[in-house]
Amino acid sequence: MGSIHLKNIFKSFGPTRVLKNVSLEINDGEFTALVGPSGCGKSTLLRILAGLEDLDNGTVSIDGRDVSGVRASDRNLSMVFQSYALYPHLTVRENIAVPLRMRQLNPSQRLPLIGSMITPATAKKEITDKINTATDMLDIGHLLDRKPGQLSGGQRQRVALGRALVRDPEAFLLDEPLSNLDAKLRVQTRAEITQLHRQLDATFVYVTHDQVEAMTMADRIAVMMDGEILQYDTPENIYSKPASIHVAEFIGSPKINIFPVELISPDQGTRFQIGVRPEYLKQKNGKFRLKAVISHLENLGPEIQVQFTLPGIDTLFHTRLDPKSAGSLTIGSTTQFGFDEVDCHLFNDRGVRLSPHKTRQFFKTLNDST
Amino acid sequence: MINAFFLSSTIKHGVLLVGALIVLVPFYMMVSYSFKSPGEIERNTGGFFGSQELMVDERCVKLQDPNKDEVIALRPRFPGLDDDGVRKAFMAEVEQDCSMIPVVFNYSKAFSQAPLLRYLLNGVIVTVSIFLIQIVVALPAAFALSKLRFWGRETVFTMVILGLLIPVHAIALPLYIMLAKVELINTYAALIVPWTISVFGIFLMRQFFMTVPDDLIDAARMDGMSEYAIVWRVMLPTAIPALLAFAIFSVVAHWNDYFWPRIVITGDRSLFTPPLGLREFKGDADGSFYGPMMATATVIVTPLIVAFLLAQKRFIEGITLTGMK
Amino acid sequence: MTAALNHQRQTLSAWIMLSPALILMMVILILPILIAFGLSFTDYGLGVKSVDFVGLENYERIFTRSTFKKMFTATVLYVIVVVPFSVGLGLGAALLIQSVRRGREFYKTIYFLPVMASLLAMAIVWEFMLHPTIGVLNETLQGGCDSAIIHGLLTGSWFGADPLASWYGDQCANGFPLWLGDRDYALWTICFIGIWQSFGFNMVLYLAGLTSVPRDLYHAAEMDGASSAWERFRLITWPMLGPTTVFVVTITVIRSFQVFDTVEAIFPDSGGPGKTAYVMMFAIYEKGIKQNLLGTGAAITVIFLMFVIVVTLIQRWFIDRKTHYT
Repeated sequence: MGSIHLKNIFKSFGPTRVLKNVSLEINDGEFTALVGPSGCGKSTLLRILAGLEDLDNGTVSIDGRDVSGVRASDRNLSMVFQSYALYPHLTVRENIAVPLRMRQLNPSQRLPLIGSMITPATAKKEITDKINTATDMLDIGHLLDRKPGQLSGGQRQRVALGRALVRDPEAFLLDEPLSNLDAKLRVQTRAEITQLHRQLDATFVYVTHDQVEAMTMADRIAVMMDGEILQYDTPENIYSKPASIHVAEFIGSPKINIFPVELISPDQGTRFQIGVRPEYLKQKNGKFRLKAVISHLENLGPEIQVQFTLPGIDTLFHTRLDPKSAGSLTIGSTTQFGFDEVDCHLFNDRGVRLSPHKTRQFFKTLNDST
Repeated sequence: MINAFFLSSTIKHGVLLVGALIVLVPFYMMVSYSFKSPGEIERNTGGFFGSQELMVDERCVKLQDPNKDEVIALRPRFPGLDDDGVRKAFMAEVEQDCSMIPVVFNYSKAFSQAPLLRYLLNGVIVTVSIFLIQIVVALPAAFALSKLRFWGRETVFTMVILGLLIPVHAIALPLYIMLAKVELINTYAALIVPWTISVFGIFLMRQFFMTVPDDLIDAARMDGMSEYAIVWRVMLPTAIPALLAFAIFSVVAHWNDYFWPRIVITGDRSLFTPPLGLREFKGDADGSFYGPMMATATVIVTPLIVAFLLAQKRFIEGITLTGMK
Repeated sequence: MTAALNHQRQTLSAWIMLSPALILMMVILILPILIAFGLSFTDYGLGVKSVDFVGLENYERIFTRSTFKKMFTATVLYVIVVVPFSVGLGLGAALLIQSVRRGREFYKTIYFLPVMASLLAMAIVWEFMLHPTIGVLNETLQGGCDSAIIHGLLTGSWFGADPLASWYGDQCANGFPLWLGDRDYALWTICFIGIWQSFGFNMVLYLAGLTSVPRDLYHAAEMDGASSAWERFRLITWPMLGPTTVFVVTITVIRSFQVFDTVEAIFPDSGGPGKTAYVMMFAIYEKGIKQNLLGTGAAITVIFLMFVIVVTLIQRWFIDRKTHYT
């Protein structure tokens, strides 16, 4: 019922090119996260999918049907907005009823007062039942008669979800739905939305700038930057096999360490970049060792985050150590950090990940030369 | 220090009270005159309420003075009296009938001398129609100017800003000529039509709509509403505070407007608005009619004053909102 | 492809939604200006068969005839008297009300009453109160003459001055003015009613302006050594109220130019004793409507609009250069 296919989407706002040839295929029932820094075009892409924004070129298909020119309300999609966009003058019940009333009742039945009288009881019952199902699922039954102004941020967020899932859309679109919640509530709601997805077995498209949300919730993540999708893959692959330095740097906290290296072969020198995630840097261990000067230490309890510099390089690098083993380190002291071949991501000088074959070749050459 | 503070605050209150007194005197006098008999008004006696002694309405008496035939007809009621005696006896009765306390006299005259109720009704019809039409015209326009993207939006908005500069009263003369050409002088339409477009209303509502988040409109679109449905079902209810402010502004202006009705309503009393009615009263008032005239003035001024006293906060907020742009 | 459909839909809806407003603006605001401009060069009259182009004759008449000289005098005097007083009293009342602890709502309500009341009705009441013989004002003043204390205080005779040298003493001896019937007083009395009616409106706008001045600024000023209330007013209040003042002055000027109700109610036939209160709107009404001299009326309308444009341009200029702090 709800597969989505975006094909060669282009979009500009005036001279600014927001989307440059974006294609994306989302399977039915899949939870896809669009993640990227602000201004990368992810929200625009979602709005194009929703039908709220026109595209300059390309096609949008839902369930195999080309909907490029179809208006938003006829695409049968539900959307949860960042600001929740609840109708301030309607109660929670009425808010949730709006999408149903707009679709299931004719204009005369929607008139105030008279409309209610000429609406058949069955239609009313159907609407009430659906509202109850939705509100039970979200546990907001006790809020039905309140107005949005009387609700907390978390409650509003649930009502917005309720309005989205009260009908049976092809897909749910969520635009940064957690960004207005406080940190604790965000973690909790994250889990609930994932659960909701499993329960409904529907297609979810989720826009966020928070890589943690994307990593924890999504089946597949599309990492976007500068109006392009850099990589579209499962969270595991995005983390362990980033397609480029940009992806590697965007996903993961603290940031991945990028060490520039130059391989000097008899005829010419070739530049490469080695990426090693902080957790794979070992103190005084590993095959390749680096002499490091500690510049900053942060004790988080279960681990210590270490910032260090390498001689001759301005950049700050990161690692995380077990408090037990890092006991002797002080700021300004010198130590060694090392890593092994298997923990490396190898990128060429343009930032593109090298194929496994080429990576093996690189280390072979490296080993041969030392 | 305490004393200095006390002194300065006493002076401030003193000044404010004197000001309040000057502001209130005309209202006090208006209401007071509306209670008093002509004699008390002329001599400035009787305090606020007047002595409320029975007074004889001379006009009422004069109107019922019987002529010969009527005297003859009255004979059976006063047996045993000659014609002169019948007349006198009857006039004594009439005088009694025509006696009343001044406050009743003034207010009953206000309503009976001229169709004051009709004037008030006209006032309501005109102000309400003007307001409703202004809203029907201004809301969609304001929505388009604030929330729709289309070519020419900036140009139209510039026109609105320029339109704000034109006081409709200033162009009353050409408007009058136009209405005369289409033979609408002396109709409700003449009272209403020139005010149907409130550029100020468009501007005010547009500024208010700018503060409504775009997400809300997108949500409504996703929920299946047409652009027009969004105006009436989403924007209108969210804009209630701004609408109230505008309503106050509009109703006060048009209930009290005198210049425009004066121009387009010439003579046809059934179309008079309250200020025109009052003005006419003044035109044919002789000394004895000051009381009823002041009663009319009181009746005309009261509705807005009462509304203001009941919903002061809203009024002042409204004026502030409309004033500050 | 079916691109730009949202855009087309929005454009279509927008123009449909704007069309009533735009059509009405054209017919009710723009067309009349053009008509006024056109007619101001003719001797047009309703029901008059022949219409002749008379060139600048109407304007020439306006700028040369004594009636119109009186019109300009009365209008300009009215504006330059009412505006400063109405704005000044509005500001003064707002400052005083803000500085007292109790009774703010009370004063605010009372000062705002005249704004709500029909000006026509109140003009009639004022006319009545100012009646030379039965009006309360002269009677009260006369009463003061008979009281030795008040007479002594107000004329200064207690302090050894010649009572006849003071205005009050002179009026006591020779009778109080006729106010609205006296060409020396009529316009000023009309001005007074205008001020009485309008300053409450300005007060409300100033009160709103005052609440938006951050309290911290006053504390900072006090720390910086601005100890007197006047210094704080000069340093903070007045500059911070700049935008409010520009708006208040503009709206008061434009409204004062349009004064009509008081003049028509009190001097329906003449425009005041010796035409001293013959203001512009009254002139338009009298020439255009009553005397059917639509060409002349149109010319006054055009001049009136010029005034409005000039005032607004001055306002814009002020807003652009003087009063923006954020």
